[in-house]
Formats: sequence, C-alpha cells, structure tokens
Amino acid sequence: MKIVSLRVAATLVFLFSFCLPAFAAQLDDHYLTAFGEQPVSQTGTDLQKAILLPATGTADPPHCGTPLKHGLQRDWNQLEPAAMKVLAKQLAAPVLSGAESTLLSPSGRFLIHYTTSGADAVPSLAWVQTVAQTFDDVTVSYAARGWNLAPTGGAPYNVYLLELSAQRIYGQTTSGQSLASPGFANAVGSFIEIDNDFLEPVYQNALSGPLTAAQKALQSLQITAAHEYHHAIQYGYNFFFDIWYAEATATWHEDELYDPVNQLYNYLPAWFNNSTQALDIAANVTTGGGYGRWITNRYLAEQHGTIVIRNIWEKLATLNSPGNNADISMIPVIDSVLITTFSSSLKNDYLGFVKRIYTRDWASHTSDISLIHPYTPLTTFSLYPVNATTAPLTSAITLAHDAFAFYKFTPTPAVANLTITINKTSGIQTALFRKSGAIISEITAAADGTFTVSGFGLMNPAADEVVLLVANTTTVNGHMASFSSDGSTSSVTEPVIAAPAAGGGGGGGGCFIATAAYGSYLHPHVRILRDFRDRHLLTNSPGRAFVALYYRLSPPAAAFITRHLPLRLLVRLLLTPVVVGIAHPAAAGVLLLAVAGTMACRVRRKRITADIHPDPAL
Amino acid sequence: MTSVINILLAGVAVFFLCTALSAASKRPTSAWNFYHFDGQTFVAGPPVGEGAFLAVRDQTVPVLLTLKETGPDAVPLPKGTGAIAGICYIQTAGGKLATGSGYLPCPRIPITISSSSGRPVATVQTDENGYFQAVLAAGVYRVGTAPQARDVTVEVAKTTLVPLRTGKRMVD
Repeated sequence: MKIVSLRVAATLVFLFSFCLPAFAAQLDDHYLTAFGEQPVSQTGTDLQKAILLPATGTADPPHCGTPLKHGLQRDWNQLEPAAMKVLAKQLAAPVLSGAESTLLSPSGRFLIHYTTSGADAVPSLAWVQTVAQTFDDVTVSYAARGWNLAPTGGAPYNVYLLELSAQRIYGQTTSGQSLASPGFANAVGSFIEIDNDFLEPVYQNALSGPLTAAQKALQSLQITAAHEYHHAIQYGYNFFFDIWYAEATATWHEDELYDPVNQLYNYLPAWFNNSTQALDIAANVTTGGGYGRWITNRYLAEQHGTIVIRNIWEKLATLNSPGNNADISMIPVIDSVLITTFSSSLKNDYLGFVKRIYTRDWASHTSDISLIHPYTPLTTFSLYPVNATTAPLTSAITLAHDAFAFYKFTPTPAVANLTITINKTSGIQTALFRKSGAIISEITAAADGTFTVSGFGLMNPAADEVVLLVANTTTVNGHMASFSSDGSTSSVTEPVIAAPAAGGGGGGGGCFIATAAYGSYLHPHVRILRDFRDRHLLTNSPGRAFVALYYRLSPPAAAFITRHLPLRLLVRLLLTPVVVGIAHPAAAGVLLLAVAGTMACRVRRKRITADIHPDPAL
Repeated sequence: MTSVINILLAGVAVFFLCTALSAASKRPTSAWNFYHFDGQTFVAGPPVGEGAFLAVRDQTVPVLLTLKETGPDAVPLPKGTGAIAGICYIQTAGGKLATGSGYLPCPRIPITISSSSGRPVATVQTDENGYFQAVLAAGVYRVGTAPQARDVTVEVAKTTLVPLRTGKRMVD
C-alpha cells in the first residue's frame, strides 16, 4: 500500500512538473497579448497581427492599463526570458495615478495615455485631444523638413500625460529597444512623458507677455511636443548621439516650429556669461550647456540653410559607437559635414558665429533679435595702458576648445589712438570691433597682427566702445592669448596635451582612419594630421577635392580598422612616418635627402663594380 | 674594482627595496574590495550614504551588499572560471528647469551574455537594484543586446565589473 501511494505521488509530481511549462507559456501569452505584443509561442500571421494591432484612424476605446502593469510586476519572475525581453519596455513605461485611458491621435501616429483621477489627472478630454493634435502637427512639420519620423515598429508612438511640475520637468523622452533598419543600424524606439496640463507656475512664469493661463499652457505644450518629439527622432537616427547637441538641436527646433513662443531665449544668458567653457560641455541651464547652444544651429542654418542640421544627423546615423557603448562626439561630425558638404569647417563657422554674437546682424527671426542676450565682456578696461601688470583686470586668457571671450575698451580722451598688440598660440583667432553710435565696424589687423583704432580718444565714453574678441576655434583645450595697449607682450605656450572633449567619447569624424587607428579624435598624432588638413589641404581646390574623396571612402575602412586590434597597430605603424614628416618637415626632408643620397651612392658603386668586374656569364 | 662592487651592491639594495615596497603596497588577495556605481562607472569603496555596492575578490563569486549588511559570504569560483558583475542602468541627462542628470537602475531586466561569435551562452536577470552577475569560463563575451552591448573579457579567478547602459532618458 505504501509503495502504491509513493508511486501515485511520484506520478502526480511528474505530471505537475510536466504541465508547468504549459502554464508558464499561457501566462506569457496573456501578458504579451494584453500589451499588444505578439505571443512568443506563436508564429505570426497577418490575421493575428491585425487582431493585435489597433486599426489606424480610429480612436482606441478607453481602457485601464494600470492593473495590468501591476500584474506584470507581480508575475515577472514567472515569465520566460523571451517574454521578459519583449515586455521589459512595459515595466519601464510610467504608471499613472488613476485608471489609464488612451486616445489615438487623428493621424493614428500617437497613442496618448492619460488618466482623469489622482495627481496625473488631465484638465479635460478636450486637452487630451489638443495634445494629440499638437503631436500630429509637430510630426507633419518635421516630415515637411525632411526628417525621418521616430521609429515605432509599426505601432503608434506612446505619449504619457503625468504631473511633472513637482520634478520641474516639461517632459522627458526615454529610449526603448533596437529598431534598426538599413542605414540606421543604431536606431532605437522611445516613448515620451509630458506634463498633464502645464498650468503650474513653474511653466507659466517661464513665458512672458499678455497671455492667459490657457494660452501659456498651450504654448508650453507646443514647444514641449516639438522638443521631445525631436529627441524621439534623434533616437531613430542613432542612439549614440552626443547629449549636448541633441538638446541644442531639439531646442533650436522649438523656434523653427513655433516662432511666436520664445522661451528658448531664456537659455542664452547662461552661455554668454560662461563663454570660456567649451561648446560641448554637458547640458545644463546654469552654464548654458546644451540648451543654450541652440543658437549655434541658427547661425549654421543662416549660413548654409536649415538642411545643414539634418545633414549632421544623417551623417551621425552612419556612425557606430567608438566602443564600450560610448556616445559619438558631435564636434568632429559637425566639422566633417561642414567640410564635405558646405566647403566650410567648424573652425570657420565658429569664428563667424561668435562674431555675430557681437554684431547681432542675424538674418532670420529678425523680429526676435532683441530677445538675444547681448555679448558679455569678460573684462572692461577704462584705465590705460592695458598690459600684464594691470591686475586685477587680466589681459591674458587660456581658453577651452571652441570657447571665446570678449574684452571691452571704454574710450578716453587720454588715448588718442588705441593700438592692441596680441600674442597668441596657433589655435586662437581674434577680431576687433569699433562701435560708434549705432554703427559697428570690424578693424582690420596690420601685417604684424596689431589692431589700431584711430580717433579712440574722440569716441563717446558713455555709448561707444571698442571690443576685442578672442576665440579658440580648435578642438584643443589650453590655447592662450595675451594682449596690451602699450606694445608689450606676455609669453604664451602652445598646449601640449590634447584634453578630451567633454561631450563624448571621440572618434567618428575628422581623420577617420587615423582616429580609428589611434582610438581617439583628440590623440596628438590625429591632431597633427587634422591641422595639416586644415592648413595645407583645405586651403586649395585640389586639396579640398582630395579631402572630400577621402571622407567619402574612408568611413567603412575606419569602421573595419576599429574592430581589429592588429590592424589598428599596423595602421599606426604606417602612419608614424607620415606624422613625423608633418610634425618635423625639416628633419624629415634632411632624412629623405640622406636616404636618397645613400641609395644613389649605392647604385653608383654597384655600376662601377659591374664595369670593373663584368658578369662572366655575359 | 671596488667601485664596480659598490655599484653592484647599490643595485642589489635598490632591487630589494623596490621589491619590499611593492609587496607592502599590494593589498592581500584575501581582502574584499568594494565598488559602487557613480552613474558612469564603478569607483572604489562603498557609496556615501545608503545604496548597494559590490564586494569583489579574487577566486570568489562577487557579492552585492548594502551598508546594513555585516559582510559577504565567500563562495569560491569554480576552477577555470571568472565572473562578471555589473549594473544595468538608464542614463538620464538634461533638465530645463532643474538638473535631471543621473541614472535609473533597471530592475528585473534579462541580460543576454553571448560568446564572441554571437552565440548566446547565458541569460541573467537584474535584481531589484539593477545589479547582475554571472560566473563564466574565461574568454571574451558580449554582454547585453545591440546596440548597447559591451565586450567584456573574463579572466580566470577574477571579477570584471560591467556598467551596462541600456538606455537614455532626455529630461527637459
């Protein structure tokens, strides 16, 4: 009897164990189906897909998703790895304070998730419809400008409405799973969260003008939709974008899509008051990093057309992470696009841009020029002479890469003509402006590099000024300049160590193959090659043609070299004589002459030997 | 001749001095090393305040700890194996009104570990704090899913720390 009982128990245990996977699969399929995903245990048919995906063009009936997400949290450990992988994004998606409803936008492109109860409650269903329509409008605008829309894998794009004012957030866009497609190997999906009503003071106070609370809420919604949806587009171009430039581009688009909303001008004072920091510092409204940099895009768009910004992102789409899951530094990407497509360079355009900060002769959005924060002088001199001993007002500066400083000279009758003498390292570019009345003119430098302002003593000290611009237009930190008004100079030292750029991981632009071989865009040898390109190749048409051809052909080779360590070593060995030759041309010339002379001597000696001792076989 | 002997003696003395200093500066292999994640990489020591951190030492399976716990239990690594331990996180950046820079751990996420040829060899799940670990034969592995995967080299009896960024959140 005991043996029979044991056998029955063993059979039951066996049967129970045997059935467990079947139950697990049912649980997986339950959640996969509930969240609109295809069950992993089935092979997808068109019919199944038609059932699982909502039909476009019709509003989803409101349904409550919150209990479903709680259930998924509870049962997570019982799911199979394949189901976990598919459903992981549901865990990351926000849970609203009340029963979740959804509204499909009129175009069918967006699924708006909202609730009518709790802290996240929306003010009205009409507001949800406004949100849906605004996102549709934004999508149409981006598509008309030639941008690829955010990838969704065929499903509507998810937008969640939550109470975000307590966190002081307009909105946020979070990346999702890979949605790679030809030409977009690093594309990922995403979802957006925005504030549920934009009625709180934190949003209302950021907008000025005689507007009602509802109008300000609508404007906040418009710029948030324009901004966040561009992040969604950016994820679709390349997950490894550099964050500072992502913010600069998304912010710039706010004014391109919604010109009457001018909240983005609020970010400029922070940058102009911290202009000695690099262009690609981390996004931060206190320093102007990221957000404030939107105005650089305005300058580039005015110089080359708005297509230049899209071209930069299209170039980024073709690049891979420099390694270790790091982001791609955008400065080399911008530089390469300006060189290859627009016959310019970041060096040229950056100088033009910082000049425009002073001259204010913006060509677009002209009615908003008054909103652009004026230049901020680092120092204002009113006592002369200015030289190294005029402490505490310093007349010397060391600049980070792609950074600038303005110095203001107040006119005084004591100085009839002002002459500025500058001593600088190779990466510094300068300009001197004279402002008299409302007229600004740029002073041309003399052959020895000095600037002279005639009639300085006759200018109006209260309204007129002379302004010196000092800019480091290279990607190397530590370039220096010193200046004086009495002809004296202080020594400056060329930077010897290329400090890393703050914004990214390097690689991906400039000299592609050298960057791949040396592992960093900022490696000293890569810098030598880049400087050679800028000084000797880009200054003539055959050189520019060579650079353009090289930039078209080299990226695939560079990508291959990056993945193979022995190849990187080999390329470094091959590049070494080139780099040494460029860095020390005189020594390289002497060495080449010596080698050529030695070889000539050997050939001559062999001939003489052959003449004296002819080959007996002949 | 005497000067040659003196030079040799000086050389021997310097050699022994350096060896002694090197030995003294080395941490005993039996001691645990602690690392916490700072949002970008693992840095030495437990975190300031509360939070999870990893205890690592040679020939032992890595252990996740919190400051409330007394000490890690030592479980030896099987012969010929090493370990990886890391955190899966979403990088957060930006902030128009207040800084949103930092990171969000990814709890309960499956992490695929593949061989260098791309064949999946293991799937591990992150814990409540986003941490994960795996014991593997020595070799080169790809941890995570493209495009955010990382290549990791596992050495015998050693633990390799892997900060695995699996997403970005642009906070505005």
